[in-house]
Amino acid sequence: MKKYDVVIAGGGAVGAACAYFLSRDTDLKIALIDLKKPGNASRASAGGLWAIGESVGLGCGVIFFKTLSKLHSEAQGKEVPVMRPHQLPDCFFEFALTSNNMYPALHQEMLEKHDVDFKFERTGLKFIMYNEEDRLYAEQITQGIPHLADQVRWLDAEQLKKEEPYVTDDAIGAIDFICDHQVNPYRLVDAYLEGARQNGVSLYLNTEVTSVIRNGNVVEGVKTSDEVFFCDTLINASGAWANELYQQATGRTMPVYPVKGQIVLSERMPKIMNGCISTSDCYIAQKDNGEILIGSSTEEKGFDTTNSLDKIQELSQGAMKCLPILKESSIKRCWAGLRPGTPDELPILGPVEGVEGYLNACGHFRTGILTSAITGQLMTELIMGKTPSLDLTPFSVERFEEAEQKAG
Amino acid sequence: MTSQTHDKVVIVGGGPAGTAAAAELACHGLKSVIIDEAPKLGGVIYRGPLRKTDSLPHLDDNLKRAMTALQTRYQAHRESIEVKTQTRVLGPEGSNQLLLSDDSGLSRQPYGHLILATGCHERSVPFPGWQLPGVMLLGGVQLQLKSGLVRPGQRMALVGTGPLLPLVACQLHKAGVDVVGVYEASPFAKLAKEAVALLNKPKLTLSGMSMMSYLKKHKIPFKYGWGIVSAQGEEQLSSIHVAPYDSQWRPQRDLAEQVAVDAIGVGYGFVARTQLAMLLGLEHTYSKVSGYVPALDEWHQSQNHSAFVVGDSNGLLGADAAICEGQLAALRLAWQCGKITESELFSRATKVNNKLARIKKFRFGFDRFSDRQPGLLSLAQPQTVVCRCEQVRKEQLDEAIAQGVKDITSLKMRTRIGMGDCQGKTCSSYALDYLHQAGLTENIGVIKPRFPLDPIPFTLME
Ligand SMILES: Cc1cc2nc3c(=O)[nH]c(=O)nc-3n(C[C@H](O)[C@H](O)[C@H](O)COP(=O)(O)OP(=O)(O)OC[C@H]3O[C@@H](n4cnc5c(N)ncnc54)[C@H](O)[C@@H]3O)c2cc1C
Repeated sequence: MKKYDVVIAGGGAVGAACAYFLSRDTDLKIALIDLKKPGNASRASAGGLWAIGESVGLGCGVIFFKTLSKLHSEAQGKEVPVMRPHQLPDCFFEFALTSNNMYPALHQEMLEKHDVDFKFERTGLKFIMYNEEDRLYAEQITQGIPHLADQVRWLDAEQLKKEEPYVTDDAIGAIDFICDHQVNPYRLVDAYLEGARQNGVSLYLNTEVTSVIRNGNVVEGVKTSDEVFFCDTLINASGAWANELYQQATGRTMPVYPVKGQIVLSERMPKIMNGCISTSDCYIAQKDNGEILIGSSTEEKGFDTTNSLDKIQELSQGAMKCLPILKESSIKRCWAGLRPGTPDELPILGPVEGVEGYLNACGHFRTGILTSAITGQLMTELIMGKTPSLDLTPFSVERFEEAEQKAG
Repeated sequence: MTSQTHDKVVIVGGGPAGTAAAAELACHGLKSVIIDEAPKLGGVIYRGPLRKTDSLPHLDDNLKRAMTALQTRYQAHRESIEVKTQTRVLGPEGSNQLLLSDDSGLSRQPYGHLILATGCHERSVPFPGWQLPGVMLLGGVQLQLKSGLVRPGQRMALVGTGPLLPLVACQLHKAGVDVVGVYEASPFAKLAKEAVALLNKPKLTLSGMSMMSYLKKHKIPFKYGWGIVSAQGEEQLSSIHVAPYDSQWRPQRDLAEQVAVDAIGVGYGFVARTQLAMLLGLEHTYSKVSGYVPALDEWHQSQNHSAFVVGDSNGLLGADAAICEGQLAALRLAWQCGKITESELFSRATKVNNKLARIKKFRFGFDRFSDRQPGLLSLAQPQTVVCRCEQVRKEQLDEAIAQGVKDITSLKMRTRIGMGDCQGKTCSSYALDYLHQAGLTENIGVIKPRFPLDPIPFTLME
């Protein structure tokens, strides 16, 4: 039997960030338990810190929106899916931008204090426009974020050519979000974990939480296949699998479900990109070792993590259209990961009414790498009994229960 | 039309196992498709020269006979066997198709039943200098001789363990190479202990003995209990150091000898080639001899996915065993498809199984003799590259393990080992053995293969 102040279930970007911030800012006794299930999102991620881009529906958002509209136009009667927001609400902007601002210092801190480098690179995110429709779309986006005007640069065809010489001549220009950058996502997780380990967190990797121990309305710990961990607070950071533990902890269900994303990766290439790119077909990022990463599909297929030719073709075609030089390269490998999706695209954070000793830190959908830092900080504040630095009401799980009651 | 192709049994790999399975299926009226990346059937062992030639001076009669037997097996049933050569399987596509690539592009191969006979690949053993041109793996040496019909070098030595050493030494010598030494890591005394096991296949043992006397007659030194230490050379291999190995196969460096060579063959074993089986989601278990191998029933069928895996891709037993396994799988499938009765199944299978049992006894004798010892892992020095694709050095593994890495995925994430073009085919067995040696045996996982199994040009996606 083991006893901890805090047990974190799940060691993806979110769980690992919680472990790091908690161990940095408190003296609590902490354990993190993780079993890398196939489809772990953090490992599959592109590593984009696209705070504005994703909030306004670029990056993966654009593909997500496209998929939804397609489903919407094809579906009939009862099956018609609810159209979800394209531009996320202000509370999300604040959440994402605050997190984004934390990375430069966090990168320094990790390097200096823990000797780990998660490869933070200042890249910007350029939305490439091919035609007038794209330009209208871009204008509509920038009109929606007047307060962020200083973070947006308009590039005409000539300027774009100068900054991204390999982008197709067909492009008529781009908008560049200058604060949107990238990291290496698995290095980021590794950095959080290594920092946490050095700060004294007990890491139980390759270990599965098999059940939650509950006594009335109090969560008292978890069981793994061969051990029992008691704790004062359980943080549920189990990604796309979070509903399982939630059910055991509370007896209720919450809408967190896997949204599959496939990625295509090229062989190493010489440096052909200066920044990250989004088009209306895909996003493209060149990583520090030269590989070009092309993402990503959005599919609701349960916990399936297989690759399929149709999606790989779509992504590759979109990328070749933007960067014709890719035709001289090969696809080295593909994979798929499971984003923890929620119906309104917002994460689910914080305590649950009527349940003690339990916190949600899940549902980060397509921006969990970006928002892991702020999530770690907010969870730390909650556990220290402070008022969280951002209002958590819009992120509480109760929003779904209320919605259900209204609908019912 | 489509339903017919769906009924076909798809066999991946046209070596002894795959070809035997196809022939056996044909005997019972079942059609099959064999897919192989090589231009010819036969697998690495029986493929033979890729160009036409009449004389094969350096191949012994046994091998020639076996090659003919495989061809005969196929020719007798060629109406029932479709052969797709120079075709690669890139991975599964959906639940009952494979994605293929060949000269004309990508295509899909639907299957009703699947038999994987993908063989094995060589185990690379990193030591200082192992990346120099001229350092080859033993199978590669053989391939150059048998399929390329070229001499891999002028002055060569062979290092490693197992029956392939004397065989390749003889072949090299017959092809006109100056073989300056053969170094078998295991001591002779250990071989003597396996005499009883070896007598299970007297013919093979005799042929092994005749190879040894051939070497003796031509004054080719064969040293038991010796092995590689390092290789030297500027642009190209010019010499190696070899030394006596202790019982753990740690080289006694102070007794090392320098040998001038321009090429060497290194053969410390093979690893089952299971990438496709893993991508398909078959369960695997770890075996010290062959690495991760699929979990199968006595008919070589997997529980999940119900694919058959035969030949070296489910554990290394050699060509004769591979043929038996191919036949067993085919018989079981014929029974499952209602082509033979249960009593026919069992009477045919008993014969094959008896043969297989004899081969296994013999083979296990060799496995015990050639059982890799941990000293081999200590050949690599801190600066030695252990993952070629990503240039990961041994000291990086040590650092990661010291920092608490306990499984291969974390090791991969931290060092980039296994993330190169070969997807870990070259380095993962070293990395696994290394983790084991560090005392990490529980849940260490495996470098998961990714789709596509081989890189594919972007242009194929247009
Ligand atoms: C293809 C793709 C591209 C993406 N690109 C980006 C991007 O560019 N930028 C960005 O910000 N985000 C991106 N994302 C989203 C991001 O990856 C996720 O939002 C984020 O990783 C979620 O982190 P997590 O820790 O909640 O989940 P995960 O990373 O999935 O971690 C959850 C962990 O919990 C473990 N677990 C679950 N149940 C248990 C249990 N019972 N016991 C023990 N362990 C358990 C899981 O195995 C897993 O390791 C992308 C996602 C995908 C799939």
